[in-house]
Amino acid sequence: MGPLVDFLPDSDKGKATMTLNNDSTIADMLDKLQIKRKVVVAVNGDEEKGLDHVLSDGDEVLVFTVISGG
Amino acid sequence: MSYGYTGKILHVNLSKGELEIEEPDEQFYRTYMGGSAMGMHYVLKETPVGVDPFSPDNVLALCTGILTGTPISGQSRLTSVAKSPLTGCIGDAQGGGYFPAEMKFSGFDAVIIKGRSPKPVYLWLHHGEAELRDASHLWGLTTGDAEDKLKEELDDKRIEVLQIGPAGENLVRFSALISMSNRANGRTGMGAVMGSKNLKAVVVRGKMKPAIANPEKFKEIQKLARVNLEPTGMDGFGKYGTPGVTTPQHRAGGLPTYNFNSGNFDKHEEIDGHKLYNEHLRGHEKDDQNRFGRDTCFSCSIKCKRVAQIDEGPFKTEAKYGGPEYETLATFGSYCGISDMDAIIHANALCNMYGMDTISCGATIAWAMECWEEGKLTMEDTGGIELKYGNAEAMVKITEMIAKREGFGEILAEGSKKAAEIIGRGTEEYLITSKGQEAPAHMPQVKRSLSVIYAANPFGADHESSEHDPGYKAYPERMKEIGLTNPQEKLALNKEMMRFAMITQHLSSAVDSISVCAFIFGASFQLYTPEQLVQTINAVMGWNVDMKEILEVGERRLNMLRAFNSREGVGRESDTLPKKMFKRPLKGGRSDGYVLNEEEWEAALEDYYRLCDWDVETGHPSLKKMESLGIGWVVAENNVLSEVIN
Repeated sequence: MGPLVDFLPDSDKGKATMTLNNDSTIADMLDKLQIKRKVVVAVNGDEEKGLDHVLSDGDEVLVFTVISGG
Repeated sequence: MSYGYTGKILHVNLSKGELEIEEPDEQFYRTYMGGSAMGMHYVLKETPVGVDPFSPDNVLALCTGILTGTPISGQSRLTSVAKSPLTGCIGDAQGGGYFPAEMKFSGFDAVIIKGRSPKPVYLWLHHGEAELRDASHLWGLTTGDAEDKLKEELDDKRIEVLQIGPAGENLVRFSALISMSNRANGRTGMGAVMGSKNLKAVVVRGKMKPAIANPEKFKEIQKLARVNLEPTGMDGFGKYGTPGVTTPQHRAGGLPTYNFNSGNFDKHEEIDGHKLYNEHLRGHEKDDQNRFGRDTCFSCSIKCKRVAQIDEGPFKTEAKYGGPEYETLATFGSYCGISDMDAIIHANALCNMYGMDTISCGATIAWAMECWEEGKLTMEDTGGIELKYGNAEAMVKITEMIAKREGFGEILAEGSKKAAEIIGRGTEEYLITSKGQEAPAHMPQVKRSLSVIYAANPFGADHESSEHDPGYKAYPERMKEIGLTNPQEKLALNKEMMRFAMITQHLSSAVDSISVCAFIFGASFQLYTPEQLVQTINAVMGWNVDMKEILEVGERRLNMLRAFNSREGVGRESDTLPKKMFKRPLKGGRSDGYVLNEEEWEAALEDYYRLCDWDVETGHPSLKKMESLGIGWVVAENNVLSEVIN
């Protein structure tokens, strides 16, 4: 979300469905998207999962930067 | 030889037309560093207790800081402080652009203004000289027109102008100081204070660049901007600006919608940073927004400012009035249930043209809309305007009427709290104010530590006075630099979160005193870390400050602000949140059902007071704390405070 949509293919602004290998973690997914920056990740609405959390088929993953203010 | 600062502070008495230059010693600069703390030094010394905010005796301080004008991102900021006509408490507002750096180049670190000119004037600072000039011909002009006229008559396109618009002249209680026709010292009505003094503008020009004590170390820090850019995400922040947070706020359930009754706006994509960038920024037709649709402040590499332009139609808008920030997209957008981007861009431009705070203006209209929806306002009140949620035309029309104090705009120009007092009929139930200032677009129900800062902040609800809750867990390395190592679960409102709130408030308070940008220096997402702020100060000034000293500057300023309120009779009873946040659970989205628990919240407020060393009963700072911060004089020199603080 936010500025991170630029890491998705143009046709999928803001949303994309990804295919990952079995037992892929959040870190693997970020690697695949080439996101190297500090981000917060919520898996199915839960923000408490670490980068080593293993993803399951059908998980919805939100990736965003924590920028406050405006 | 001194570094960083010019060493000159200009005192202006508008009643007498007198100008006097003070040259404080280096210890003064090291104690206050500039910005808000420096301004408060003069406000506390020179403003009489109980002053009417529109009295000639209300001192208005405009202060740069020790780093202003040095070639590094985030340093061109100016802070204004005075007693606020919106809140009756201390007022405080920061702004950026090119004016702050140019003011330093003109030869002055700060301008301290009192009195009232018998006729409109502007202050002209150039190459170490200062003079007051007639501004009768500028009175009544919009900011863009006044700036054009000043450039013409001074025959210099490179002057910078900090001015009030017609709203400030009309004493709209949330009017702003505007520079570049699109940058605002927005909050707490500083524009109305300047208007009450018949001071139309401060105009600056000069070439007196600040000296740097350790140029090599300074260059190293400059280069870090490139290293830090991608890992911090500040490249994306520059591209989409603050509007880039709109959709993440919605997803987190924290995008204030329908006057703070929900954190979920179904049409969020219509008002978010991508829509603005892709379809509205100048140059988007040729995919050339980076060149024509983004702007920056002096020497800042981020370029986060928006430039929008609408060529035709009812919301036709000139590019010189800039583009909306996230806050503005929310207050004129989701707060009001409006998803018409053109209307929001135009309302933003009206605020910059007439000189008003977009947060208070949009939020005041949203409050009126809820009153309308609840049947508390009728066509008779509004002069035939249907003020229902989602009515973009009405929102734009009312914005202009507020600036001109026309019709129903006359009442809304008082700000929502005073408007509720005038109207009555239970309309105060729908307020979203703390100390009479409308809440910015971050929700206390979702960011719980922020709820206490909104209430306890001396100048009313503010989103730039502390780090927000998710930052604690997301940025452990940076938080460690300021002694925060124990992040808590989401929605926690316990002692550790109060420590987080207070310590990050001290850092933000230091940032507003050193007078640098809260997007460039800070403890979470910013371009530079807190430790790099310390290094920058030492490189420029040749000092050996450490993090403890910087946090103390912030704590000093916070206690000065708080002490000002104490002498005005304002204490714990004013540290409150809007009633609805305790009574009415949010509806829809991720934050569905969220509501604050009053008992838990009061306990957290008391924890915060104890950490601050403030009296739990009264909310006043303690003499011991004031003395330990070297500001015992604030109490000793004031009879009222001597009785209140002990």
